[in-house]
Amino acid sequence: MKSLLAFVLDTLLGAAVSAMVLLIIVPELSGWAPAPLSIVPPTLLWVSVGLWRKASIGLLFVSDKNERPLPNAVRAHMGWIAFCTSIVAGWIVTGISPIEFFSGEGLKGAGRIFGALFTPEFDVIGAALDAMVVTVFTALMATIVAVPISFLLSFAAARTVMTGGTHERVIYVLLRAVLNIMRSMEPIIWAIIFSVWVGIGPFAGMLALVVHTVASLTKQYSEQIEDVNQGPLEAISATGAKRLQVLWFAVVPQCVIPFLSFTIYRWDINVRMATIIGFVGGGGIGTLLTQYQGLAKYNEVGTIVILITLVVWILDVASARVRQALR
Amino acid sequence: MSLLSVRNLSHTYPNGYQALHDISFDVQAGEFLVIIGLSGSGKSTLLRCLNRLIEPTHGTILMSGTDVTNVSDAALRAHRAGIGMIFQHFNLIPRHSVVNNVLYGSLGSTPTMASILGRFSSEQRQKALQALDVVGIREKADVRADSLSGGQQQRVAIARALMQNPALLLADEPVASLDPATSHTVMDYLERVNKDLGTTVICNLHFLSLVRRYATRVIALKGGRMVFNGKPNEITDEWFRTIYGEEAMEVEIR
Repeated sequence: MKSLLAFVLDTLLGAAVSAMVLLIIVPELSGWAPAPLSIVPPTLLWVSVGLWRKASIGLLFVSDKNERPLPNAVRAHMGWIAFCTSIVAGWIVTGISPIEFFSGEGLKGAGRIFGALFTPEFDVIGAALDAMVVTVFTALMATIVAVPISFLLSFAAARTVMTGGTHERVIYVLLRAVLNIMRSMEPIIWAIIFSVWVGIGPFAGMLALVVHTVASLTKQYSEQIEDVNQGPLEAISATGAKRLQVLWFAVVPQCVIPFLSFTIYRWDINVRMATIIGFVGGGGIGTLLTQYQGLAKYNEVGTIVILITLVVWILDVASARVRQALR
Repeated sequence: MSLLSVRNLSHTYPNGYQALHDISFDVQAGEFLVIIGLSGSGKSTLLRCLNRLIEPTHGTILMSGTDVTNVSDAALRAHRAGIGMIFQHFNLIPRHSVVNNVLYGSLGSTPTMASILGRFSSEQRQKALQALDVVGIREKADVRADSLSGGQQQRVAIARALMQNPALLLADEPVASLDPATSHTVMDYLERVNKDLGTTVICNLHFLSLVRRYATRVIALKGGRMVFNGKPNEITDEWFRTIYGEEAMEVEIR
Protein backbone atom coordinates (compact mmCIF):
# COMPACT_ATOMS: atom_id res chain seq x y z
CA MET A 1 0.00 0.00 0.00
CA LYS A 2 2.78 2.35 1.02
CA SER A 3 4.88 1.50 -2.04
CA LEU A 4 1.88 1.93 -4.37
CA LEU A 5 1.27 5.39 -2.97
CA ALA A 6 4.99 6.19 -3.34
CA PHE A 7 4.88 4.98 -6.95
CA VAL A 8 1.89 7.24 -7.74
CA LEU A 9 3.63 10.22 -6.11
CA ASP A 10 6.82 9.51 -8.09
CA THR A 11 4.89 9.27 -11.36
CA LEU A 12 3.07 12.57 -10.77
CA LEU A 13 6.25 14.33 -9.74
CA GLY A 14 8.12 12.89 -12.74
CA ALA A 15 5.36 13.91 -15.15
CA ALA A 16 5.34 17.47 -13.78
CA VAL A 17 9.13 17.85 -14.05
CA SER A 18 9.22 16.27 -17.53
CA ALA A 19 6.47 18.58 -18.80
CA MET A 20 8.35 21.64 -17.51
CA VAL A 21 11.64 20.50 -19.00
CA LEU A 22 10.09 19.65 -22.36
CA LEU A 23 8.34 23.02 -22.57
CA ILE A 24 11.65 24.81 -21.99
CA ILE A 25 13.44 22.81 -24.67
CA VAL A 26 10.77 23.00 -27.38
CA PRO A 27 8.31 25.78 -26.62
CA GLU A 28 6.51 25.02 -29.87
CA LEU A 29 5.30 21.75 -28.34
CA SER A 30 2.61 23.61 -26.37
CA GLY A 31 0.59 24.11 -29.55
CA TRP A 32 0.98 20.52 -30.75
CA ALA A 33 -1.90 18.09 -30.23
CA PRO A 34 -0.14 14.83 -29.14
CA ALA A 35 2.23 16.80 -26.88
CA PRO A 36 1.05 15.19 -23.59
CA LEU A 37 2.29 11.79 -24.89
CA SER A 38 5.86 13.09 -25.09
CA ILE A 39 5.86 13.35 -21.30
CA VAL A 40 5.55 9.56 -20.93
CA PRO A 41 9.17 8.43 -21.64
CA PRO A 42 10.90 10.95 -19.31
CA THR A 43 8.35 10.15 -16.60
CA LEU A 44 9.10 6.45 -16.91
CA LEU A 45 12.83 7.29 -16.74
CA TRP A 46 12.30 9.30 -13.56
CA VAL A 47 10.34 6.51 -11.90
CA SER A 48 12.73 3.73 -12.94
CA VAL A 49 15.76 5.68 -11.71
CA GLY A 50 13.96 6.15 -8.40
CA LEU A 51 13.26 2.41 -8.13
CA TRP A 52 16.66 1.33 -9.36
CA ARG A 53 18.62 3.59 -7.01
CA LYS A 54 16.15 2.78 -4.22
CA ALA A 55 15.71 6.52 -3.87
CA SER A 56 12.07 7.07 -4.50
CA ILE A 57 11.16 10.64 -3.60
CA GLY A 58 7.54 9.57 -3.23
CA LEU A 59 8.57 7.12 -0.50
CA LEU A 60 9.96 10.03 1.51
CA PHE A 61 6.47 11.35 2.03
CA VAL A 62 4.75 8.13 2.96
CA SER A 63 7.24 6.15 5.05
CA ASP A 64 9.26 6.44 8.20
CA LYS A 65 11.90 9.15 7.74
CA ASN A 66 14.54 7.15 9.64
CA GLU A 67 14.14 4.29 7.24
CA ARG A 68 15.07 6.36 4.19
CA PRO A 69 16.74 9.56 5.26
CA LEU A 70 16.22 12.53 2.97
CA PRO A 71 19.96 13.13 2.23
CA ASN A 72 20.24 9.66 0.71
CA ALA A 73 17.36 10.19 -1.68
CA VAL A 74 18.58 13.63 -2.65
CA ARG A 75 22.11 12.35 -3.25
CA ALA A 76 20.80 9.52 -5.37
CA HIS A 77 18.74 11.89 -7.50
CA MET A 78 21.43 14.54 -7.61
CA GLY A 79 23.53 12.76 -10.23
CA TRP A 80 20.85 12.25 -12.78
CA ILE A 81 19.21 15.61 -12.09
CA ALA A 82 22.60 17.17 -12.90
CA PHE A 83 22.77 14.99 -16.02
CA CYS A 84 19.29 16.03 -17.18
CA THR A 85 19.98 19.68 -16.42
CA SER A 86 23.18 19.54 -18.48
CA ILE A 87 21.28 18.12 -21.42
CA VAL A 88 18.60 20.82 -21.14
CA ALA A 89 21.20 23.56 -20.78
CA GLY A 90 23.24 22.14 -23.65
CA TRP A 91 20.15 21.93 -25.82
CA ILE A 92 19.31 25.60 -25.22
CA VAL A 93 22.92 26.89 -25.53
CA THR A 94 23.61 24.92 -28.72
CA GLY A 95 20.34 26.17 -30.19
CA ILE A 96 19.27 22.69 -31.24
CA SER A 97 16.13 23.06 -33.25
CA PRO A 98 14.41 20.02 -34.78
CA ILE A 99 11.86 22.40 -36.27
CA GLU A 100 14.48 24.14 -38.37
CA PHE A 101 16.14 20.85 -39.26
CA PHE A 102 12.92 19.53 -40.76
CA SER A 103 11.42 22.81 -42.02
CA GLY A 104 10.50 23.07 -45.69
CA GLU A 105 12.86 25.97 -46.24
CA GLY A 106 15.78 24.08 -44.62
CA LEU A 107 15.19 20.87 -46.54
CA LYS A 108 15.07 22.83 -49.80
CA GLY A 109 18.54 24.29 -49.00
CA ALA A 110 19.89 20.84 -48.18
CA GLY A 111 18.55 19.50 -51.46
CA ARG A 112 20.22 22.36 -53.34
CA ILE A 113 23.71 21.85 -51.84
CA PHE A 114 23.62 18.05 -52.00
CA GLY A 115 22.39 18.31 -55.57
CA ALA A 116 25.32 20.56 -56.42
CA LEU A 117 27.87 18.41 -54.57
CA PHE A 118 26.69 15.28 -56.36
CA THR A 119 26.78 16.93 -59.78
CA PRO A 120 30.46 17.93 -59.66
CA GLU A 121 31.84 20.41 -62.16
CA PHE A 122 34.92 18.70 -63.55
CA ASP A 123 36.28 21.86 -65.21
CA VAL A 124 38.19 22.57 -61.99
CA ILE A 125 39.84 19.17 -61.85
CA GLY A 126 43.13 20.49 -63.26
CA ALA A 127 43.44 23.26 -60.69
CA ALA A 128 42.24 20.90 -57.96
CA LEU A 129 44.87 18.28 -58.81
CA ASP A 130 47.60 20.96 -58.79
CA ALA A 131 46.41 22.15 -55.38
CA MET A 132 46.22 18.57 -54.12
CA VAL A 133 49.85 18.00 -55.10
CA VAL A 134 50.77 21.12 -53.12
CA THR A 135 48.88 19.79 -50.08
CA VAL A 136 50.46 16.33 -50.22
CA PHE A 137 53.94 17.84 -50.53
CA THR A 138 53.26 20.36 -47.77
CA ALA A 139 52.49 17.40 -45.51
CA LEU A 140 55.51 15.45 -46.75
CA MET A 141 57.96 18.31 -46.22
CA ALA A 142 56.52 19.06 -42.78
CA THR A 143 57.02 15.41 -41.82
CA ILE A 144 60.54 15.23 -43.23
CA VAL A 145 61.63 18.42 -41.46
CA ALA A 146 60.01 17.36 -38.19
CA VAL A 147 61.47 13.84 -38.01
CA PRO A 148 65.15 14.67 -37.19
CA ILE A 149 64.09 17.38 -34.73
CA SER A 150 61.70 14.98 -33.00
CA PHE A 151 64.31 12.22 -33.01
CA LEU A 152 66.83 14.38 -31.15
CA LEU A 153 64.28 15.88 -28.76
CA SER A 154 62.69 12.53 -27.94
CA PHE A 155 65.73 11.38 -25.96
CA ALA A 156 65.60 14.49 -23.80
CA ALA A 157 61.86 13.90 -23.36
CA ALA A 158 62.26 10.30 -22.20
CA ARG A 159 62.11 9.82 -18.44
CA THR A 160 64.30 6.72 -18.52
CA VAL A 161 67.07 8.57 -20.38
CA MET A 162 67.12 11.76 -18.31
CA THR A 163 68.38 10.18 -15.11
CA GLY A 164 71.69 12.03 -14.76
CA GLY A 165 70.81 14.41 -11.94
CA THR A 166 68.71 17.49 -11.23
CA HIS A 167 69.59 19.55 -14.30
CA GLU A 168 68.51 16.74 -16.63
CA ARG A 169 65.31 16.37 -14.64
CA VAL A 170 64.65 20.11 -15.15
CA ILE A 171 65.28 19.86 -18.91
CA TYR A 172 62.94 16.87 -19.10
CA VAL A 173 60.12 18.59 -17.20
CA LEU A 174 60.46 21.86 -19.15
CA LEU A 175 60.61 20.10 -22.51
CA ARG A 176 57.56 18.00 -21.67
CA ALA A 177 55.66 21.16 -20.64
CA VAL A 178 56.61 23.05 -23.82
CA LEU A 179 55.66 20.06 -26.00
CA ASN A 180 52.30 19.75 -24.23
CA ILE A 181 51.54 23.41 -24.87
CA MET A 182 52.65 23.10 -28.50
CA ARG A 183 50.39 20.09 -28.94
CA SER A 184 47.43 21.78 -27.22
CA MET A 185 47.50 24.58 -29.80
CA GLU A 186 45.76 23.22 -32.86
CA PRO A 187 47.71 23.37 -36.14
CA ILE A 188 45.03 25.70 -37.52
CA ILE A 189 46.07 28.29 -34.90
CA TRP A 190 49.74 27.83 -35.84
CA ALA A 191 48.73 28.30 -39.48
CA ILE A 192 47.14 31.66 -38.63
CA ILE A 193 50.33 32.68 -36.81
CA PHE A 194 52.64 31.62 -39.65
CA SER A 195 50.43 33.07 -42.39
CA VAL A 196 51.06 36.45 -40.77
CA TRP A 197 54.76 35.62 -40.26
CA VAL A 198 55.72 34.32 -43.72
CA GLY A 199 52.60 35.22 -45.68
CA ILE A 200 49.69 33.09 -46.85
CA GLY A 201 50.67 29.96 -48.74
CA PRO A 202 51.95 26.42 -48.45
CA PHE A 203 55.10 27.51 -46.57
CA ALA A 204 52.98 28.85 -43.71
CA GLY A 205 51.00 25.61 -43.76
CA MET A 206 54.17 23.56 -43.68
CA LEU A 207 55.58 25.49 -40.71
CA ALA A 208 52.32 25.04 -38.81
CA LEU A 209 52.44 21.31 -39.44
CA VAL A 210 56.12 21.12 -38.45
CA VAL A 211 55.34 22.58 -35.03
CA HIS A 212 52.48 20.21 -34.44
CA THR A 213 54.32 17.20 -35.86
CA VAL A 214 57.41 17.84 -33.71
CA ALA A 215 55.23 18.00 -30.62
CA SER A 216 53.33 14.83 -31.46
CA LEU A 217 56.20 12.73 -32.79
CA THR A 218 58.50 13.67 -29.91
CA LYS A 219 55.87 12.44 -27.48
CA GLN A 220 55.33 9.19 -29.38
CA TYR A 221 59.07 8.60 -29.91
CA SER A 222 59.94 9.31 -26.27
CA GLU A 223 57.22 6.97 -25.03
CA GLN A 224 58.68 4.27 -27.25
CA ILE A 225 62.16 4.99 -25.83
CA GLU A 226 60.81 4.67 -22.30
CA ASP A 227 59.25 1.38 -23.30
CA VAL A 228 62.31 -0.45 -24.70
CA ASN A 229 63.56 -3.69 -23.22
CA GLN A 230 66.10 -2.71 -20.54
CA GLY A 231 68.17 -5.89 -21.03
CA PRO A 232 70.26 -4.72 -24.01
CA LEU A 233 70.79 -1.39 -22.18
CA GLU A 234 72.30 -3.24 -19.24
CA ALA A 235 74.43 -5.37 -21.54
CA ILE A 236 75.85 -2.42 -23.49
CA SER A 237 76.44 -0.40 -20.28
CA ALA A 238 78.32 -3.38 -18.86
CA THR A 239 80.85 -3.24 -21.73
CA GLY A 240 81.98 0.16 -20.42
CA ALA A 241 80.26 2.05 -23.24
CA LYS A 242 79.62 5.80 -22.99
CA ARG A 243 76.09 7.07 -22.60
CA LEU A 244 75.73 8.10 -26.25
CA GLN A 245 76.92 4.64 -27.29
CA VAL A 246 74.41 2.99 -24.96
CA LEU A 247 71.59 5.05 -26.50
CA TRP A 248 72.77 4.41 -30.06
CA PHE A 249 73.48 0.69 -29.73
CA ALA A 250 70.92 -0.47 -27.17
CA VAL A 251 67.97 1.94 -27.50
CA VAL A 252 67.89 3.06 -31.15
CA PRO A 253 67.84 -0.46 -32.72
CA GLN A 254 64.78 -1.29 -30.64
CA CYS A 255 63.02 1.90 -31.78
CA VAL A 256 63.66 2.05 -35.53
CA ILE A 257 60.61 0.08 -36.65
CA PRO A 258 58.08 1.74 -34.30
CA PHE A 259 59.53 5.15 -35.21
CA LEU A 260 59.04 4.44 -38.93
CA SER A 261 55.51 3.32 -38.27
CA PHE A 262 54.67 6.47 -36.25
CA THR A 263 56.25 8.64 -38.96
CA ILE A 264 54.27 7.17 -41.84
CA TYR A 265 51.05 7.50 -39.86
CA ARG A 266 51.96 11.11 -39.05
CA TRP A 267 52.40 11.92 -42.74
CA ASP A 268 48.95 10.44 -43.36
CA ILE A 269 47.51 12.66 -40.60
CA ASN A 270 49.43 15.67 -41.95
CA VAL A 271 47.79 15.37 -45.37
CA ARG A 272 44.38 15.67 -43.70
CA MET A 273 45.56 18.53 -41.50
CA ALA A 274 47.17 20.31 -44.47
CA THR A 275 43.74 20.35 -46.09
CA ILE A 276 42.12 22.00 -43.07
CA ILE A 277 45.04 24.40 -42.66
CA GLY A 278 44.44 25.55 -46.23
CA PHE A 279 41.15 27.08 -45.03
CA VAL A 280 43.05 29.71 -43.04
CA GLY A 281 45.79 30.44 -45.54
CA GLY A 282 47.96 27.33 -45.52
CA GLY A 283 47.73 26.95 -49.30
CA GLY A 284 46.89 23.87 -51.34
CA ILE A 285 43.52 22.22 -51.79
CA GLY A 286 42.05 23.76 -48.62
CA THR A 287 42.59 27.29 -49.92
CA LEU A 288 41.06 26.37 -53.27
CA LEU A 289 38.04 24.88 -51.47
CA THR A 290 37.39 28.06 -49.46
CA GLN A 291 37.68 30.15 -52.61
CA TYR A 292 34.93 28.22 -54.41
CA GLN A 293 32.85 28.00 -51.27
CA GLY A 294 33.07 31.79 -50.91
CA LEU A 295 31.80 32.14 -54.48
CA ALA A 296 28.96 29.70 -53.68
CA LYS A 297 30.11 27.51 -56.60
CA TYR A 298 29.00 24.27 -55.01
CA ASN A 299 29.44 22.10 -58.10
CA GLU A 300 33.17 22.97 -58.07
CA VAL A 301 33.25 22.43 -54.29
CA GLY A 302 31.78 18.98 -54.96
CA THR A 303 34.69 18.09 -57.27
CA ILE A 304 37.24 19.23 -54.70
CA VAL A 305 35.54 17.31 -51.90
CA ILE A 306 35.52 14.13 -54.00
CA LEU A 307 39.24 14.57 -54.74
CA ILE A 308 40.12 15.14 -51.07
CA THR A 309 38.11 12.10 -50.01
CA LEU A 310 39.80 9.96 -52.63
CA VAL A 311 43.36 11.03 -51.75
CA VAL A 312 42.83 10.73 -47.98
CA TRP A 313 41.29 7.30 -48.46
CA ILE A 314 44.15 6.06 -50.68
CA LEU A 315 46.78 7.38 -48.24
CA ASP A 316 44.93 5.85 -45.30
CA VAL A 317 44.90 2.42 -46.92
CA ALA A 318 48.50 2.72 -48.16
CA SER A 319 49.90 3.84 -44.80
CA ALA A 320 47.98 1.10 -43.00
CA ARG A 321 49.45 -1.48 -45.42
CA VAL A 322 53.00 -0.22 -44.95
CA ARG A 323 52.66 -0.12 -41.16
CA GLN A 324 51.23 -3.64 -41.20
CA ALA A 325 54.21 -4.83 -43.27
CA LEU A 326 56.65 -3.19 -40.85
CA ARG A 327 55.32 -5.11 -37.88
CA MET B 1 96.52 -9.95 -3.79
CA SER B 2 93.00 -11.05 -4.66
CA LEU B 3 91.53 -10.14 -8.03
CA LEU B 4 88.37 -8.90 -6.37
CA SER B 5 87.67 -7.97 -2.75
CA VAL B 6 84.19 -7.14 -1.57
CA ARG B 7 84.07 -5.43 1.83
CA ASN B 8 80.91 -4.85 3.89
CA LEU B 9 78.77 -4.44 0.80
CA SER B 10 75.14 -3.40 1.40
CA HIS B 11 72.47 -2.31 -1.01
CA THR B 12 69.08 -0.77 -0.23
CA TYR B 13 66.66 -0.13 -3.11
CA PRO B 14 64.95 3.29 -3.33
CA ASN B 15 61.72 1.68 -2.08
CA GLY B 16 63.52 0.86 1.19
CA TYR B 17 64.01 -2.86 0.53
CA GLN B 18 67.47 -3.94 1.66
CA ALA B 19 68.67 -6.54 -0.83
CA LEU B 20 72.21 -7.02 0.53
CA HIS B 21 73.42 -7.01 4.13
CA ASP B 22 77.09 -6.52 4.87
CA ILE B 23 78.60 -8.93 2.32
CA SER B 24 82.37 -9.52 2.38
CA PHE B 25 84.35 -12.03 0.32
CA ASP B 26 87.45 -12.35 -1.85
CA VAL B 27 87.88 -13.83 -5.28
CA GLN B 28 91.28 -15.12 -6.47
CA ALA B 29 92.28 -15.00 -10.11
CA GLY B 30 91.25 -18.18 -11.96
CA GLU B 31 88.39 -19.17 -9.67
CA PHE B 32 84.99 -20.35 -10.92
CA LEU B 33 82.84 -18.91 -8.14
CA VAL B 34 79.16 -19.77 -8.09
CA ILE B 35 76.60 -17.81 -6.10
CA ILE B 36 73.48 -19.73 -5.08
CA GLY B 37 70.35 -18.82 -3.20
CA LEU B 38 66.59 -18.57 -3.61
CA SER B 39 65.02 -16.14 -6.05
CA GLY B 40 65.09 -12.74 -4.38
CA SER B 41 68.01 -13.63 -2.12
CA GLY B 42 70.12 -10.85 -3.68
CA LYS B 43 72.26 -12.81 -6.17
CA SER B 44 71.52 -10.55 -9.13
CA THR B 45 71.90 -7.40 -7.06
CA LEU B 46 75.27 -8.59 -5.79
CA LEU B 47 76.52 -9.35 -9.30
CA ARG B 48 75.36 -5.95 -10.59
CA CYS B 49 77.05 -4.18 -7.69
CA LEU B 50 80.36 -5.69 -8.80
CA ASN B 51 80.39 -3.75 -12.08
CA ARG B 52 78.21 -1.04 -10.57
CA LEU B 53 75.23 -1.44 -12.86
CA ILE B 54 73.66 -1.06 -9.44
CA GLU B 55 75.24 1.44 -7.09
CA PRO B 56 76.18 -0.10 -3.71
CA THR B 57 74.72 1.82 -0.76
CA HIS B 58 77.60 0.93 1.59
CA GLY B 59 80.88 -0.89 1.41
CA THR B 60 83.78 -1.05 -0.98
CA ILE B 61 84.76 -3.12 -3.95
CA LEU B 62 88.47 -3.50 -4.71
CA MET B 63 89.51 -4.68 -8.17
CA SER B 64 93.16 -5.84 -8.07
CA GLY B 65 93.54 -3.69 -4.97
CA THR B 66 92.02 -0.54 -6.54
CA ASP B 67 88.86 0.91 -5.01
CA VAL B 68 86.21 1.19 -7.72
CA THR B 69 83.31 2.37 -5.58
CA ASN B 70 84.06 6.09 -5.53
CA VAL B 71 85.54 6.86 -8.92
CA SER B 72 84.95 9.21 -11.85
CA ASP B 73 82.73 8.28 -14.80
CA ALA B 74 85.74 7.50 -16.96
CA ALA B 75 87.27 5.23 -14.33
CA LEU B 76 83.90 3.51 -13.86
CA ARG B 77 83.70 2.82 -17.61
CA ALA B 78 87.25 1.50 -17.58
CA HIS B 79 86.28 -0.76 -14.66
CA ARG B 80 83.24 -2.03 -16.54
CA ALA B 81 85.24 -2.53 -19.74
CA GLY B 82 87.50 -4.95 -17.86
CA ILE B 83 84.56 -7.10 -16.71
CA GLY B 84 82.48 -9.15 -19.13
CA MET B 85 78.86 -9.88 -18.30
CA ILE B 86 76.27 -12.31 -19.62
CA PHE B 87 72.61 -12.42 -18.72
CA GLN B 88 69.69 -14.80 -18.33
CA HIS B 89 67.92 -13.31 -21.36
CA PHE B 90 71.15 -12.93 -23.39
CA ASN B 91 70.41 -9.22 -24.03
CA LEU B 92 71.73 -9.19 -27.58
CA ILE B 93 70.71 -6.38 -29.90
CA PRO B 94 67.94 -7.89 -32.04
CA ARG B 95 67.99 -7.28 -35.81
CA HIS B 96 71.74 -6.68 -35.70
CA SER B 97 74.12 -9.32 -37.02
CA VAL B 98 75.91 -11.74 -34.73
CA VAL B 99 79.35 -10.33 -35.53
CA ASN B 100 78.17 -6.76 -34.84
CA ASN B 101 76.78 -7.89 -31.51
CA VAL B 102 80.19 -9.29 -30.66
CA LEU B 103 81.89 -6.07 -31.80
CA TYR B 104 79.72 -4.12 -29.37
CA GLY B 105 81.77 -5.79 -26.63
CA SER B 106 84.59 -3.42 -27.61
CA LEU B 107 82.49 -0.22 -27.31
CA GLY B 108 84.30 0.67 -24.10
CA SER B 109 87.58 1.04 -26.01
CA THR B 110 86.19 2.56 -29.23
CA PRO B 111 85.69 6.33 -29.69
CA THR B 112 81.99 7.26 -29.71
CA MET B 113 81.79 8.75 -33.22
CA ALA B 114 83.82 5.94 -34.81
CA SER B 115 81.55 3.33 -33.23
CA ILE B 116 78.36 5.14 -34.26
CA LEU B 117 79.61 5.35 -37.85
CA GLY B 118 80.38 1.62 -37.66
CA ARG B 119 84.13 2.14 -38.04
CA PHE B 120 85.51 -0.77 -36.10
CA SER B 121 89.13 -1.57 -36.91
CA SER B 122 90.05 -4.68 -38.87
CA GLU B 123 91.85 -5.98 -35.75
CA GLN B 124 88.60 -5.63 -33.84
CA ARG B 125 86.70 -7.49 -36.59
CA GLN B 126 89.36 -10.21 -36.60
CA LYS B 127 89.09 -10.51 -32.85
CA ALA B 128 85.31 -10.71 -33.01
CA LEU B 129 85.51 -13.65 -35.41
CA GLN B 130 88.07 -15.32 -33.14
CA ALA B 131 85.73 -14.85 -30.17
CA LEU B 132 82.98 -16.51 -32.21
CA ASP B 133 85.42 -19.34 -32.93
CA VAL B 134 85.93 -19.86 -29.21
CA VAL B 135 82.18 -20.45 -28.73
CA GLY B 136 81.95 -22.46 -31.96
CA ILE B 137 79.51 -20.38 -34.04
CA ARG B 138 81.73 -18.50 -36.44
CA GLU B 139 79.58 -19.69 -39.34
CA LYS B 140 76.65 -17.69 -37.92
CA ALA B 141 78.60 -14.41 -37.97
CA ASP B 142 76.41 -12.70 -40.55
CA VAL B 143 72.93 -13.84 -39.52
CA ARG B 144 70.59 -11.75 -37.41
CA ALA B 145 71.12 -12.29 -33.67
CA ASP B 146 67.41 -12.78 -32.99
CA SER B 147 67.22 -15.65 -35.49
CA LEU B 148 69.45 -17.85 -33.32
CA SER B 149 68.29 -20.36 -30.71
CA GLY B 150 68.59 -19.50 -27.01
CA GLY B 151 71.77 -21.51 -26.51
CA GLN B 152 73.39 -19.96 -29.57
CA GLN B 153 72.42 -16.46 -28.43
CA GLN B 154 74.04 -17.11 -25.06
CA ARG B 155 77.22 -18.22 -26.83
CA VAL B 156 77.20 -14.98 -28.84
CA ALA B 157 76.83 -13.15 -25.53
CA ILE B 158 79.91 -14.99 -24.21
CA ALA B 159 81.79 -13.99 -27.38
CA ARG B 160 80.72 -10.37 -26.80
CA ALA B 161 82.10 -10.57 -23.27
CA LEU B 162 85.37 -12.08 -24.58
CA MET B 163 85.78 -9.04 -26.86
CA GLN B 164 86.52 -7.11 -23.66
CA ASN B 165 89.53 -9.33 -22.78
CA PRO B 166 87.91 -9.53 -19.37
CA ALA B 167 89.88 -10.37 -16.25
CA LEU B 168 86.52 -11.24 -14.72
CA LEU B 169 83.33 -12.62 -16.27
CA LEU B 170 80.00 -12.14 -14.50
CA ALA B 171 77.22 -14.53 -15.46
CA ASP B 172 73.71 -13.78 -14.16
CA GLU B 173 71.71 -17.03 -14.33
CA PRO B 174 73.24 -17.81 -17.74
CA VAL B 175 71.28 -21.04 -18.24
CA ALA B 176 68.01 -20.28 -16.42
CA SER B 177 66.06 -19.92 -19.68
CA LEU B 178 67.71 -22.83 -21.50
CA ASP B 179 66.88 -26.55 -21.67
CA PRO B 180 69.13 -29.00 -19.73
CA ALA B 181 71.23 -30.17 -22.70
CA THR B 182 71.84 -26.61 -23.92
CA SER B 183 72.58 -25.56 -20.34
CA HIS B 184 75.49 -27.97 -20.23
CA THR B 185 76.83 -26.74 -23.58
CA VAL B 186 76.78 -23.13 -22.38
CA MET B 187 78.29 -24.06 -19.00
CA ASP B 188 81.01 -26.04 -20.82
CA TYR B 189 81.93 -22.93 -22.81
CA LEU B 190 82.08 -20.89 -19.59
CA GLU B 191 84.32 -23.56 -18.10
CA ARG B 192 86.55 -23.47 -21.17
CA VAL B 193 86.83 -19.67 -20.91
CA ASN B 194 87.75 -20.14 -17.26
CA LYS B 195 90.30 -22.92 -17.77
CA ASP B 196 91.79 -22.14 -21.19
CA LEU B 197 91.77 -18.35 -21.11
CA GLY B 198 92.22 -18.07 -17.36
CA THR B 199 89.27 -15.73 -16.99
CA THR B 200 87.85 -15.62 -13.48
CA VAL B 201 84.13 -16.41 -13.51
CA ILE B 202 81.44 -15.40 -11.03
CA CYS B 203 78.18 -17.07 -11.88
CA ASN B 204 74.68 -17.11 -10.38
CA LEU B 205 73.08 -20.55 -10.63
CA HIS B 206 69.91 -22.29 -9.53
CA PHE B 207 70.73 -25.97 -9.92
CA LEU B 208 73.01 -27.58 -7.35
CA SER B 209 73.95 -30.35 -9.79
CA LEU B 210 75.45 -27.69 -12.08
CA VAL B 211 77.13 -26.08 -9.08
CA ARG B 212 78.81 -29.35 -8.08
CA ARG B 213 79.90 -29.99 -11.66
CA TYR B 214 81.39 -26.56 -12.49
CA ALA B 215 82.14 -24.49 -9.38
CA THR B 216 85.50 -24.31 -7.66
CA ARG B 217 83.91 -22.37 -4.81
CA VAL B 218 80.37 -21.56 -3.71
CA ILE B 219 78.84 -18.62 -1.91
CA ALA B 220 75.25 -18.89 -0.72
CA LEU B 221 72.97 -15.94 -0.04
CA LYS B 222 69.85 -16.04 2.06
CA GLY B 223 67.70 -12.96 2.53
CA GLY B 224 70.60 -10.77 1.34
CA ARG B 225 73.10 -12.25 3.82
CA MET B 226 76.01 -14.52 3.04
CA VAL B 227 75.32 -17.84 4.82
CA PHE B 228 77.87 -20.12 3.16
CA ASN B 229 81.31 -19.70 1.62
CA GLY B 230 83.19 -22.88 0.78
CA LYS B 231 83.84 -25.80 -1.56
CA PRO B 232 80.93 -27.29 -3.55
CA ASN B 233 81.36 -30.71 -1.91
CA GLU B 234 80.92 -29.10 1.51
CA ILE B 235 77.26 -28.38 0.76
CA THR B 236 75.69 -31.15 2.82
CA ASP B 237 71.97 -31.85 3.06
CA GLU B 238 71.96 -29.77 6.21
CA TRP B 239 73.49 -26.78 4.45
CA PHE B 240 71.06 -27.30 1.58
CA ARG B 241 68.12 -26.98 3.96
CA THR B 242 69.67 -23.93 5.59
CA ILE B 243 70.05 -22.21 2.24
CA TYR B 244 66.83 -23.24 0.55
CA GLY B 245 64.52 -23.79 3.55
CA GLU B 246 63.32 -26.89 5.40
CA GLU B 247 60.81 -28.03 2.78
CA ALA B 248 63.16 -27.76 -0.19
CA MET B 249 63.85 -30.80 -2.39
CA GLU B 250 66.88 -30.97 -4.57
CA VAL B 251 66.05 -31.13 -8.29
CA GLU B 252 68.69 -32.62 -10.54
CA ILE B 253 69.67 -31.39 -13.93
CA ARG B 254 72.03 -33.75 -15.76
